[in-house]
Amino acid sequence: MAAEQIKTLKQLEDIKKNYLDAQVKYDYIVYVCGGAGCVSSNCQLIQDTLVAEAESAGISDKVLVYQTGCMGTCAVGPVMLVTPGNTFYTELTPDKVKEIVKEHLIGGKPVEQYTYFDKTLQKHVPVLDDINFFKKQVKIALRNCGAMAYNDVAAYIARDGYMAACKALSDLSPQMVIDEVKASGLKGRGGAGFPTGVKWQAGHDQKADRKFIVCNADEGDPGAFMDRSLIEGDPHTVLEGMMLGGYAIGATQGYIYIRAEYPIAVERMIEAIKQARAAGLLGQDIFGSGFDFDVEIRIGAGAFVCGEETALMASIEGERGEPRQKPPFPFQRGLFGCPTIINNVETFANIPAIMNRGAKWYAQYGTEESKGTKVFALAGDVVNTGIVEVPIGIPIGEIIFDIGGGVPGGKKFKAAQIGGPSGGCITAANLNTPTDYKPLQALGAIMGSGGLIVMNEDTCMVDTARFFMDFIRDESCGKCTACRVGTKRMLEILERIVVGDGVEGDVELLLELGEVISQTAMCGLGQTAPNPVLSTIKYFRNEYDEHIRKHYCRAGVCSKLFLAPCSNTCPAGINIPGYMGLISVGRYVDAYELIRQENPLPAICGRICTRPCEEKCRRATVDEALAICDLKRFVADYALEHGEQKKETFPQNGKRVAIIGAGPSGLSAAHYLARKGYEVEIFEAESVCGGVLAFGIPAYRLPKNVINAEVNRIKALGVKINLNSPVGENLTFDVLKNEFDAVYVATGAQLAQKLGVEGEDLNGVYGGLDFLKAVNLGQDVLVGDKVAVIGGGNTAIDSARTALRKGAKQVTILYRRDREAMPAEELEIQEALEEGVQIMEMVNPLRFISDGGSLKQIECVKMTPGAFDASGRRRPVAVEGSNFLLDFDTAIAAVSQCTDLDFFDNAVCELTRWKTFVVDEDTQMTSLDGVFAGGDVVRGPNDAIHAIADGKRAASAIDLYLGGDGVLNKGEQIELPVIIDEDEITQQKRFPIMIEPASMRSHTFDEVNQGYKKLNAVAESMRCLHCERRN
Amino acid sequence: MEGNTATATTEKFSEIANIIDLYKDKEGSLIQVLHQAQELYGYLPLELQSFIADGMGLPLSEVSGVVTFYSFFSTKPRGKHTIRICMGTACYVRGGKKLVDTLQETLHVKIGDTTEDGMFTFEVARCIGACGLAPAIMVDDTVYKQVNPNKLKAILADYRKKEVSE
Repeated sequence: MAAEQIKTLKQLEDIKKNYLDAQVKYDYIVYVCGGAGCVSSNCQLIQDTLVAEAESAGISDKVLVYQTGCMGTCAVGPVMLVTPGNTFYTELTPDKVKEIVKEHLIGGKPVEQYTYFDKTLQKHVPVLDDINFFKKQVKIALRNCGAMAYNDVAAYIARDGYMAACKALSDLSPQMVIDEVKASGLKGRGGAGFPTGVKWQAGHDQKADRKFIVCNADEGDPGAFMDRSLIEGDPHTVLEGMMLGGYAIGATQGYIYIRAEYPIAVERMIEAIKQARAAGLLGQDIFGSGFDFDVEIRIGAGAFVCGEETALMASIEGERGEPRQKPPFPFQRGLFGCPTIINNVETFANIPAIMNRGAKWYAQYGTEESKGTKVFALAGDVVNTGIVEVPIGIPIGEIIFDIGGGVPGGKKFKAAQIGGPSGGCITAANLNTPTDYKPLQALGAIMGSGGLIVMNEDTCMVDTARFFMDFIRDESCGKCTACRVGTKRMLEILERIVVGDGVEGDVELLLELGEVISQTAMCGLGQTAPNPVLSTIKYFRNEYDEHIRKHYCRAGVCSKLFLAPCSNTCPAGINIPGYMGLISVGRYVDAYELIRQENPLPAICGRICTRPCEEKCRRATVDEALAICDLKRFVADYALEHGEQKKETFPQNGKRVAIIGAGPSGLSAAHYLARKGYEVEIFEAESVCGGVLAFGIPAYRLPKNVINAEVNRIKALGVKINLNSPVGENLTFDVLKNEFDAVYVATGAQLAQKLGVEGEDLNGVYGGLDFLKAVNLGQDVLVGDKVAVIGGGNTAIDSARTALRKGAKQVTILYRRDREAMPAEELEIQEALEEGVQIMEMVNPLRFISDGGSLKQIECVKMTPGAFDASGRRRPVAVEGSNFLLDFDTAIAAVSQCTDLDFFDNAVCELTRWKTFVVDEDTQMTSLDGVFAGGDVVRGPNDAIHAIADGKRAASAIDLYLGGDGVLNKGEQIELPVIIDEDEITQQKRFPIMIEPASMRSHTFDEVNQGYKKLNAVAESMRCLHCERRN
Repeated sequence: MEGNTATATTEKFSEIANIIDLYKDKEGSLIQVLHQAQELYGYLPLELQSFIADGMGLPLSEVSGVVTFYSFFSTKPRGKHTIRICMGTACYVRGGKKLVDTLQETLHVKIGDTTEDGMFTFEVARCIGACGLAPAIMVDDTVYKQVNPNKLKAILADYRKKEVSE
């Protein structure tokens, strides 16, 4: 350490020059990240290996190694950057380092497979500057973090460190410094966003013998780690910022208050202060200006409230960290009774850059109202967790999806929590909101210090609110009643809601308490304490109501409310762990009967269900979700082959129910109603039973005999099914209504939606469902050689694969978003690709071009992702001038389906603008007395399992409506085996099912999935973790 | 044996007296003294608080008030290692709660308590700032990233193994 006392700009420039000159003789400079994240993944070992390998290879004089602060990509540590070339290596191990030394540092060829892997693009991106995570960032506060050795004052000087202070102290008056900061528009980055220059002016204008400048590094918000990264990566910039602040307001003493949870930050700051003192950069007569300044560290002791400025000062004074009444404000009477200016770490880190490059330069970033950049700590359910710095005003969705890489594991984005326990949540509908102080406040959130936590669909918002309230209740200092008692009462209410003991009025009580606390608490902590609760109530009131009224936690988090996450998610509520247990002991028929208690169509669902249960399977956290659906199919096939339908009789109650439509919803309602003794008659317009199951789903996925087998079991209960019996002209809706005691409408959504473009009436252009129906019902359908399918859902995939089986030579799916965003089942997409179907992403058809009345070409336009829509996905927008023509002789438009309600006078019943029924969500009853509806005719195009659940709910409601008890007769209770398995879980992915090879299957309608063989089925069922046993 | 312990205690008290001398005249340094005293003595029993109060010229009530206010200070003996399971938002969202359950089951201790053998003190932390590595835990000053129940058990086993080999 040079004992040289730095007094002049010339000296600083010499140090810079010497430092940079010394680097020239090296071929490579390697920056190993020593941020706290990488430290915990043992980056020291990586560095040691690198140095040792370079030495033994004899290239020590060619390779210079620095340990730096956080580079930002905390989740993929340890990381390092090799320059020149900016090759960015991640997830390093000593072995990888050895290879990199050999191939890259000696051989000159970067080792691509160890470089950064972009999970969204599914490929390696070796060069830092090309990585999406870094591309949209603008690093000002973080300018040195990860770009230099954090532990060397010379490294900081080489990046223009202390030059701003030198120039200011030598040439500028304190007022000029303040004016520059004012002009930059910098606002306090601790969260409140008070203009820094204005604050400094207030400090400057106070007359006092002693003043203080304080750096608040008590970063206590859960989910925030920006300040930590800054101090660990660039401690000198914080010191220089404080020195400039001290000079501006006239303080000679500074304090840095760092929380005790950050030992590495404390250690590095102590070292930095030591170096600065040794170089005369702290102490007396700095830069010969006559200005004295020194800094002392104060370590917190684990109290969140100390982040509040008055509490922080009390803590520095060695007292209990309790807030004090304002006014007097700290700038009037602060630390030890003297005028004190408190700023956040990030605020100070910006100051030297502003002074060096000018207010104008800084103000080019950001929005009209808020200038510059903001550092965010990105965490939670997001691919790239870590530290990012972006211009203020960038849409929050861009941070999460472009920089953060979106939500991992194919899960849906639910909300982003911003601003910690004082903040609120941003929902999918608000992703275009600029990250700026006011727009965020308008949504009930705050910018805060920069914690940004992404939550996926598996997060329960009520439980999240409970979590924050628990935090605040625990951290409340207890000084004022509103906060001490109020937060406790709010927590009690939330705690009872999450265990299912909530009562009507609880939410209103929370709102009222929240209001009182925010108005009467003494400090910022208390005043903002209710925010997370108020914000989740604002955006997720339905989840509160579901917990209170239905004892249902849709996220599957509040475990007191359900048996197991899978069952909780199944719309029909099947006892999944129960049938897994039955399979594992060989009781396949019992397993089938157990499923049938909740869902009368197991063999059908075992083939086509969308399997929401598997998304929530906890086994996925070990290796892979259980093959719940395939096992359902296995037991169903076994039972249909080997099991006899039990003869049961149900005493008739003499009441009659008419059901319109023999699809899954109608059949389910019929099943349960018949078991309650009703005389049930189904009216079906088509010549087959099953609705869309029969004519919308191709036989290679769902063979007709499977449908018939399960329909026959329902018929055996005495249900009468009238085929070819459309309700409308001959058999009017009114007649049905009069003749029967109740009517259940389950007519589905069967009209293929038009694209609304020119030429849709040409020969060779079909609607998706029309096409499938025609093929399924054996009608003559002409399929050309080159087929285009438009859409990305299951109907589109079914149409494509069906076209292939009808002789098409080439089938191309045109989809306006990217493949990731396709709503179709991933497995179906995979199978389609295997069979030779092609997918063109990001294209949209504009018109169908005719050749003598038949389709010849499609004019398409390229699409690009635009702003976020209400569902949180990017809405594709056309790229102007990118139109192009494609040759096709057949086109199938499978974008969506809508309902067909021509069978009755629509004016008599309340409908939505999509022409679906408005029903009571508990009873499925429409606005017409005694008329119930469910399935797609209520929901719009949806899946079978929801239709089944609706039919079941309607059966219960109809029973109640007609004087029954509403309790479904599901059959005798099935005794479940006791599963005791104390063995350690070993990794084992799914056991395989039998699948026909693509070459064999792509031209026949034989079933593709051949299901489980017995041994594999039993083995698979034993992978169940039996989450239901936990209590 | 007892004599040794008594000597050790006296030695520690005199070291703490030195620390007090060092800080006595600096304004507002009580918390820094308490940090170092706890580092040396392991925890802050009433007699030590009283000793510090005398040395600093402060009322015992003030010292005790500060000790009990901050969660980092402990008035009970602590285990050789302190395990802090992070329950900050990011860690909570990614399964911190399961780690708490696992630890309670494995060590048979409640939050805030120390194992019978004096090896581990179990605490819950309010965000250790390692959100990018969630769920994270901290054993003494070392952060462990992306911990799951199995990994947690392995970490505990490692510490016990080290203990035996020492």
